[in-house]
Amino acid sequence: MTVKLVRNSMVVAISVMVLSIGLFLGMLYQYFTDKLMDELKTEVTLVAQGVELQGQDYLNGLQTENRITWVDGDGTVLYDSVADASTMESHADREEIKEAMTVKSGTAQRYSTTLSEQTLYATKRLSDGSVIRMASGQHTVGLLLLSMAQPILIILLIALLICVGLATQMSQRLMQPILDLDLEHPENCETYDELVPLLGRMRRQNDTIQRQINLLRQRQQEFSALTENMSEGFLLLDKKGHVLSYNAGALRLLGAQKPEGEVNALVLNRSEQFRGAVEDLLHGQKSQRCIELGGRYCNILVNPVLEDGELTGGVMVLLDVTEQEQREELRREFTANVSHELKTPLTSISGIAEIMKSGMVKPEDIQGFAADIYQEAQRLIALVEDILRLSQLDEGVVNLEREPVELLSLANEVVRRLDTTAKKRNITLTATGVSAQIQGVRRVLDEMIYNLCDNAIKYNRDGGRVTITVEKTEKGICLSVADTGIGIAPEEQNRVFERFYRVDKSHSKEIGGTGLGLSIVKHGAMLHEAQIQVNSQENQGTTISILF
Amino acid sequence: MRDRFNEQLEQLNVELIKMGALCEEAISAAAKALLENDAKLRETAYAVEREIDQSERDIENLCMKMLLQQQPVARDLRAISAALKMISDMERIGDQAADIAEITKDIGENSVTGRIPLAEMARGAIGMVTDSVESFVRKDLELAKQVISKDDEIDALFDEIKRELIELIGKGDSGEVCIDLMMIAKYFERIGDHAVNVAEWVEFSMTGQHKQ
Repeated sequence: MTVKLVRNSMVVAISVMVLSIGLFLGMLYQYFTDKLMDELKTEVTLVAQGVELQGQDYLNGLQTENRITWVDGDGTVLYDSVADASTMESHADREEIKEAMTVKSGTAQRYSTTLSEQTLYATKRLSDGSVIRMASGQHTVGLLLLSMAQPILIILLIALLICVGLATQMSQRLMQPILDLDLEHPENCETYDELVPLLGRMRRQNDTIQRQINLLRQRQQEFSALTENMSEGFLLLDKKGHVLSYNAGALRLLGAQKPEGEVNALVLNRSEQFRGAVEDLLHGQKSQRCIELGGRYCNILVNPVLEDGELTGGVMVLLDVTEQEQREELRREFTANVSHELKTPLTSISGIAEIMKSGMVKPEDIQGFAADIYQEAQRLIALVEDILRLSQLDEGVVNLEREPVELLSLANEVVRRLDTTAKKRNITLTATGVSAQIQGVRRVLDEMIYNLCDNAIKYNRDGGRVTITVEKTEKGICLSVADTGIGIAPEEQNRVFERFYRVDKSHSKEIGGTGLGLSIVKHGAMLHEAQIQVNSQENQGTTISILF
Repeated sequence: MRDRFNEQLEQLNVELIKMGALCEEAISAAAKALLENDAKLRETAYAVEREIDQSERDIENLCMKMLLQQQPVARDLRAISAALKMISDMERIGDQAADIAEITKDIGENSVTGRIPLAEMARGAIGMVTDSVESFVRKDLELAKQVISKDDEIDALFDEIKRELIELIGKGDSGEVCIDLMMIAKYFERIGDHAVNVAEWVEFSMTGQHKQ
């Protein structure tokens, strides 16, 4: 900018100078020529008078810078102060001489061949008809300019210096307010008037930008509030596999730490399935994969985003399906178990019936086989009854007529029913405690206590003890069944309430039972909003307490 | 030019993460094949080992290309040379995992495996490999140092296993299986050493200093 300003001011300075020199030279040149001519005329008049009085002697004694020529009436040069008169040609045809011949005096301005320069002439006719001429050389404009070259150059130099100084100052003055502009608050700046429209536009633009930023920030906040609070994981990748956006759920499900800066998706997780999912996405394929991470199952939905058939990135949604997966497994186990349990007695019945059908059984043995069939059928019935009861409890369709139930008397009733079974194995079965009444479904409560006691007897050692205790605690009424049996290992204590779960799988056949007893207890407790506690030590015994 | 180089560096990083993940898979497959005597996992270990070899060649080519075409200096050069060293350690981890899987074929079900802390050692070695890869992925100097210090635990476990196996052989109890298990333990110990090397290269690529 400064350079441009210097150049411009220099152009102005030089052109002003050239114009003024031209003007002065044009005007002054004419003025000086006229002056010179007047002087010549005066001088020639004086010289003419001198020559009239003294003749050539006057000329010889004359001291002058100008050239003097004395031309006779016929044009012959009689005297010349510069050249030799005898060698000079006739001057009769010279313009100024001719003029003097006719009107006594004359002037002319032309190039002199004798002096070889632009010359001014003035002539005067004497009384004898001869003519006196005086000539003065005239400097041309070029010569004048040349003689002025030095001062002109000095002036130019000074002008240049002034221009540089002024231009620098000017550009600084122009630029300083612009440099000092507060871009955030342009309206507070002190500047010159020409900048005001610019500042106005800046302010308006600032406002627009601020509005848009606010809008974007709001959108961003809404978006992150939505994504952060969803339990599903959310990952946004670009076409190179870099993570553009993620939510806390995604990090949690992938077991990753908060990444720093822009990272590749593989930094979050590098398991085989996740790598496959990222590959799918980068190849523009939709897919769904299930990965297992630290015991949890996670479903990954891969959705590539295509624009004009070209991949621009993709979205991954991660769903925690651990519970579904576990439920699914439980369901599979239950189905497998129930079919197995139902099939075992049926196989026996069918086998025995087949033998009897083929007539291979002696009539006296039929009774024994029939007893077997009866026993197996009873087992089947018990099993189906249990399943039915359980599904009733599951569905909640059981007759839910609640009534006041006295637990201790109910326990005593159960003890009476199971007494024979207990005696067979020499087990002491007792019910103790205080009388306590709760609101409940009698049939369900009876089943619960019966099943607990039944289990306590089954999994007891011969000559052991089973004690039902009813007590009132500060937390509520507690019914507990304690045995001195085989106990339950700590890792299995949670599983015993699952349907068909057997602690000791190899001996379940001889012990009998359906594997549904504790499951019924659990559902019954749920129905009565009671809590079950298992306290057991292997080979020491088990206490199962129900807190109503 | 620099963009292209950055792209290549990024690609190198991703390839290394993938190779590290493959190593983790190979060793956990081998350990499971050993502890659960699962023939399918044995095959997995072989397959992953082949993938690791391929991966090593690919990364080596990439590194050479970068060294020749870009002539990197300072930090970039360090990253590439560390990568070159890292892949040879990772490749060894893969090989040893496959070796373990190979031996499991001979020993099969036996009563000795459960009596020595081999499962613990396998867990330790897997943990070290995982952590060394993780320290590379996250550029976590602290984790790399942890891996380096964890090597002593594995070494101590190896000594313990050795002592117990000597005792078992002394009792004249299944000598062949004992020697096989001894080799497996040695492989796990070597895997631990390689994991330490990887961690040291991570440290080198980040700080420029190599542990003496």
